Amino acid sequence: MFLIIAGCTQVGALLVKKFVDTGHNVVVIDRDKGNFDYLETGCNCLMIHGMPIDEDVLKEAGIERADALIAVTAEDNMNIMISQIAKHLYHVPHVMMQANHPERQAVLSAKGLHMICPIALTADHFYTSLLQKENSI
Amino acid sequence: MRIMIIGGGNVGFYLSKTLIASKHKIMIIEENPTHCERLVSNLDSKWVEVFLGDGTEVNCLRDAGIHHADVLIAVTGYDQNNLVACQLAKDYFGVKKTIARVKNPKNIRVFEKLGVDSVISSTESIANVINQELEWNDVNKLIREHSSSLRLREVQVRQAPWLIHHPLKDLGIPKGIIIIAILRRAQAIIPSGETILQEEDKIILWGEEQLISDFLHILSAN
Repeated sequence: MFLIIAGCTQVGALLVKKFVDTGHNVVVIDRDKGNFDYLETGCNCLMIHGMPIDEDVLKEAGIERADALIAVTAEDNMNIMISQIAKHLYHVPHVMMQANHPERQAVLSAKGLHMICPIALTADHFYTSLLQKENSI
Repeated sequence: MRIMIIGGGNVGFYLSKTLIASKHKIMIIEENPTHCERLVSNLDSKWVEVFLGDGTEVNCLRDAGIHHADVLIAVTGYDQNNLVACQLAKDYFGVKKTIARVKNPKNIRVFEKLGVDSVISSTESIANVINQELEWNDVNKLIREHSSSLRLREVQVRQAPWLIHHPLKDLGIPKGIIIIAILRRAQAIIPSGETILQEEDKIILWGEEQLISDFLHILSAN
């Protein structure tokens, strides 16, 4: 699979590693060069330094032939814009994004965006874990 | 009209000032407290309400009264925030018209495709003016190859209001300069001595370079 990851954040770098290690073709974009330090040295992926909402940067990354795009920059609105460009302008088959603000999930999943909200996931996880423990006592 | 503005930096501030003059009710959302203070102390509170917050958040938009807005204008310095503000306004709150400013002119197409009604790029506007200027330079280059001193120049009549209301023959246009065309709305008019200029016209002058610059100097001095 050819995959673009927008945002070389800690999550982004972890995703790059997972996909590269399992033999996938990965391009990672970040507007801050320093963030590429999160990658392991010698990581077998292409790094692009640029603004990930800039169509020229996305084209350079190969958005026209990408099988998937995951937007995990630190900014929700940036992720929302990248995902919509990928989905509605370039028809990338699989688009996913991270939303840090739980309330955005309800509003923007209505736009057909596949969102993952770490805060909501964590809270759910604690909640169900605790209830399971309580039930098993 | 009731207008919600997202972003109270320089663009938002002067935009509000301009809109108040045409008697519109303004609501501004700005996330920087210092900018909010400037808005509150410099704009008439009878016409403007200022809210401190993030205009890309549903709760903030709701608290600021987006339900009353006829139009939302997003003019923060970040294209992604302007897009999200417009999309929330339109899809979630049903605001009829959304207008966004973009910094990267390439985002005009992106925003239009993603449902923003009007998209404005100051970079593109300036580039258009420069391109027009360049086209004139190309024409003048061509002329220069054949005659060293003749030039074409374009002049806005608005810049010299005393040109209006009189037939061209009475304007005292010096010998050696002719008005070869008048651009009025989408039309080009070939003038005669009896033609009278209007405020929105542009005129195209043809003549010796020195004479034209002297004439333009007189125009601006009047």
